[in-house]
Amino acid sequence: MAEIAQDGGGGGHKKGPGVKKQARKEARVDMTPMVDLGFLLITFFIFTTTINSPKAFKLNVPDDSAKDEEQTQAKASGAFTVLLSKGNHVYYYEGQLQSDGSNFKSSNFKEIRNELLRKKASTAEKDLVVIIKPNEEANYKNVVDMLDEMQILEIKRYAVVDIAEGENALIRVTEGSSPTPAAGGK
Amino acid sequence: MSKLNKIARKSTWVDMTAFVDVSFLILTFFMLATKFKPPEVVNIDNPKSVSSDKVEDKDVFKVSFDKNGRVFISFSADKDGREKAQLTAEVLGRQKGLGLTPAEISNFVKFSSGGIGVPVTQLKSFLALSDAEYKAFKQPGIPVSDTLNNQLNDYINALLTGTGGRKPANVMLNGDNGTTYPYFKNVLAAFKKNGIFSFKLITAMEGVPTGTPLYKRQKEQGGQAK
Repeated sequence: MAEIAQDGGGGGHKKGPGVKKQARKEARVDMTPMVDLGFLLITFFIFTTTINSPKAFKLNVPDDSAKDEEQTQAKASGAFTVLLSKGNHVYYYEGQLQSDGSNFKSSNFKEIRNELLRKKASTAEKDLVVIIKPNEEANYKNVVDMLDEMQILEIKRYAVVDIAEGENALIRVTEGSSPTPAAGGK
Repeated sequence: MSKLNKIARKSTWVDMTAFVDVSFLILTFFMLATKFKPPEVVNIDNPKSVSSDKVEDKDVFKVSFDKNGRVFISFSADKDGREKAQLTAEVLGRQKGLGLTPAEISNFVKFSSGGIGVPVTQLKSFLALSDAEYKAFKQPGIPVSDTLNNQLNDYINALLTGTGGRKPANVMLNGDNGTTYPYFKNVLAAFKKNGIFSFKLITAMEGVPTGTPLYKRQKEQGGQAK
């Protein structure tokens, strides 16, 4: 530090008489183009960034070829069947479907959680099994939402099963469309 | 008069240093946070779930279906994925008598990272496409709707035959919100038929709703961990 000061003192920095004061150069740089470019890049990266990286949802499916006696039998009292149809409609019934369809109820994705919670609270854990039956008009989102609901409500036993014709007919009646024999559907 | 002039001549220069500092900080953040999406030929809108597991990107076999029910398969672009794609193409060509040339098989490997969705019968002509043609080509999807002609089954069977029954570490299902259930069911049927009973669905993250059993448990565990 001292050296520098000395050096400065000994050098020609002292303005003697006749030495013209050097014109101070402006130290500022015009940064506008740099800022322009910077923001252009920011915009680019904002648009290309995927902050929400996808998540993996583990799913295990049973082996259909297992023999009948090996398959898990659901106790009727602990069964809760959820039927999914088009337009995010949810229908459900508890236990077995009455032949007159009296316990067949219509619901939606918000209310079904409360129904499932109520069922979960009133049923022994080992008996509770939720059966998810999407019909051919239900979409993938509904199915995944329902599987997700099982995670949210911590229901351990659930199954995705094909819908029965009678149940599908009930949905059609409820939806107001004429109960066409669903031969066109798969 | 002179006073007025002085005011008018005031410099309009604004010190932008701080501004530049902040903007470059943001720029750096986005540059580091960006992970480029691998090129996909299909546009898929995933459903949401509360699951928080990361999606693996090594040794992946992925089946995708878009909202029109077009089914695609893809392999990850790493060594394991390429090797499996190669084996699939070789075995499938042999099983179905397609007579694929080595160039076509290498094309299969190349296209497989973006997605392959053509019926087995069209595979040979599809693999003759150039890169640019591949991008522009609208693939019809692998037919799955007919249970007797579920060709996804053929692809998966070829894959597992090629690897000698060794399953890819990550079997993923990448489905679109709007796909109707039968497509999902048929894809599942092809998986089950080949003995794949455990796989992962690709979903977008969603918060756990408050007050639900999972929320309570996670909160408890969070409290214990601390």
